[in-house]
Amino acid sequence: MCDTCGCQTTKHSHQDRKLLEINKSLLEANDSVARKNRKHFGEIGARAINLISSPGAGKTTLLEKTAELLSGEFDFAVIEGDIETERDAQRIRAKGIPAVQITTGGACHLDASLVHKGLHELQHTVPESGLDLVFIENVGNLVCPAAFDLGEHKRVVMVSVPEGSDKPAKYPRAFMGSDLLIISKMDLLPYFDFSLEEASREARRLNPDIKIMALSSVTGQGMEQWRDYLAGLTKI
Amino acid sequence: MHELSLVQGLFSQVKEAASRHHARKVTRVVVKIGPYSGVVMDSFTFAFEVLKEDEELLRHAHLEIIRPGARLCCSLCGREVDAESGHPDFKDETLQSQLFSKGKTCPHCGKGNLYPSGGDEILLMQIEME
Repeated sequence: MCDTCGCQTTKHSHQDRKLLEINKSLLEANDSVARKNRKHFGEIGARAINLISSPGAGKTTLLEKTAELLSGEFDFAVIEGDIETERDAQRIRAKGIPAVQITTGGACHLDASLVHKGLHELQHTVPESGLDLVFIENVGNLVCPAAFDLGEHKRVVMVSVPEGSDKPAKYPRAFMGSDLLIISKMDLLPYFDFSLEEASREARRLNPDIKIMALSSVTGQGMEQWRDYLAGLTKI
Repeated sequence: MHELSLVQGLFSQVKEAASRHHARKVTRVVVKIGPYSGVVMDSFTFAFEVLKEDEELLRHAHLEIIRPGARLCCSLCGREVDAESGHPDFKDETLQSQLFSKGKTCPHCGKGNLYPSGGDEILLMQIEME
């Protein structure tokens, strides 16, 4: 038997065999577009935030509230990702904020080339003075979005009170790669068995540098902190 | 995760490299998949074996997966622990029990909490071709 390839005959040689060292990510195709997006966001003067959560955690509601309270302070736009419908983009536009909708048609996450397309579409609606921030609202999912760099500057992960405080432990990667954890729907805390302490402790076990904020888009709790966080990003 | 599309991405990189080097066939593909990458190894291997049948160039390719051990870092003293061999308590444990069970602190300083360090890589390392 041939020692090299294991086939039955030894009457051949492997002298023309070549070994190539590559050392490149399998997601390189995505990552190279993400790098271009990051540059592109920079060119319009904006910092981009990739907002990740399960469906229904309150991503769009937070952006609506952000539009109500902070549109005088920041010029921002939204790239909305969903499997179907224009509904989220319509909700954002109704608040006077430029928004484009990306419908993935089934894919459970946004990737860099979808965001690239959204960014080009968005440019038609961007004021000449440019933008301070672009929010990319990812498809509701705590698993797959974590693996795809979209070209964002900051990644924000959101968990709502009704989901339970065990989400960081159950979906570690989304929390390992995020800059900020938002606990949303804090107004519901009296009605659910949610431990802010447990969620924060377990998120910090995965990522000691993660910032944590507790918000309610209904009562306005924590919105001051959210404002400060965004202001800190736009100053850089 | 998206093992099928990861393997498709892998194949397009392999084919591109192979055509640059005028290879007739690829005999071995070495990838490195980190413990916190979220990739399911069985699904990845399955996708590789299924998809290679459609690729003349890759039909005889053997897949080799390097799986680096999980590394944990101490939040207080900053030292690293090899989760699989460096700490007897951690042997064969999942990330969950390494991190979240009570009393699991840094074996070096005995005080700090441990957190995952790196390990999310999904890399094409080597291609062997003829």
